[in-house]
Amino acid sequence: MVPIEYYLLLSSAIFCIGLFGVLTRRNALYFLMSVELMMNAAIINLVAFSFQVGNLTGQTFGLFVIALAAAEVAVGIGIILVLYRNFGDIDVMDANTMRW
Amino acid sequence: MTDGSRSRSSLAPGLAAVALFGVLAAAILGSAGGFGEPAGFPAGESVVHNIGYALFDIDLGEIAAEGFLAAFLIIALALDVALDAAIYLAKREDGGSIVSALTDGGRDIVDGDIHTVGDDPTANTVDRDVDTDPDNGGTH
Repeated sequence: MVPIEYYLLLSSAIFCIGLFGVLTRRNALYFLMSVELMMNAAIINLVAFSFQVGNLTGQTFGLFVIALAAAEVAVGIGIILVLYRNFGDIDVMDANTMRW
Repeated sequence: MTDGSRSRSSLAPGLAAVALFGVLAAAILGSAGGFGEPAGFPAGESVVHNIGYALFDIDLGEIAAEGFLAAFLIIALALDVALDAAIYLAKREDGGSIVSALTDGGRDIVDGDIHTVGDDPTANTVDRDVDTDPDNGGTH
C-alpha cells in the first residue's frame, strides 16, 4: 500500500508546476492548462485523503471538481476566442485594460 | 501566437515554485508517520457503486459518505450556464448582424430565419412556421 505522503508529494509537485506555468506563460491556452494542473493537484489530494480516512466524500468531491474544471475550460476557451478576435493574439498581457 | 516569446525572466517564478515545493515537501515529510495507516475501503465493496449512491443520496452504500444530491443538481446548472456562456462568447457580429456559433446544418440563423451561407438571405430564406392545414395546400 502506497503511503499517503507520496501522493501528497506528487500533488505538491504538480501544483508547483502549475504555479510556475501561471507565473511565466503568456499564452492563454498554456495559462489555462497550468490552472488545470493546479486543480488536478487538488483532486489528487482529495482522493488520497479519501482513501486515508476510508470515506468516499473526497472521491465524490473530486468528481465535482472535475465537472467544475470542465465548466471553467468551456468559459476559458470562449474568453480566449474573444481575446483573439479583439487583439489578434492570445497573449494574456495584451488585455491590460477593460476596454470593449 | 505568444509563448516562447517570454520577455520576462522565468528565473524568479521558477525559484518561487521550487521554494514552495520545498516548503510543502518539508511539511509533508516532517509529518511522516503522523498520518498513520490508511483506513482504506472494505474489500469486495465496489467504490464506483458507492460513489453513485453518494451522488444521488441513496442509503445503500457500505462505505461511509455524505449525500451529494443538491451539489449534483447545482453542478448540472453550473455546467449548463458554462455552456451558454461559451456559446454567447463564441458568437460574433458581422456587419451589424449577429453570426451565432450555433447554425442549423451549416446554415446561418439571421433574424430568426435560416439561410444558406453565401446565398441571398431573402431568396433562400426558409420559413420556419409550417402550414399543416390541407385546405391551404399542405406544407410549404
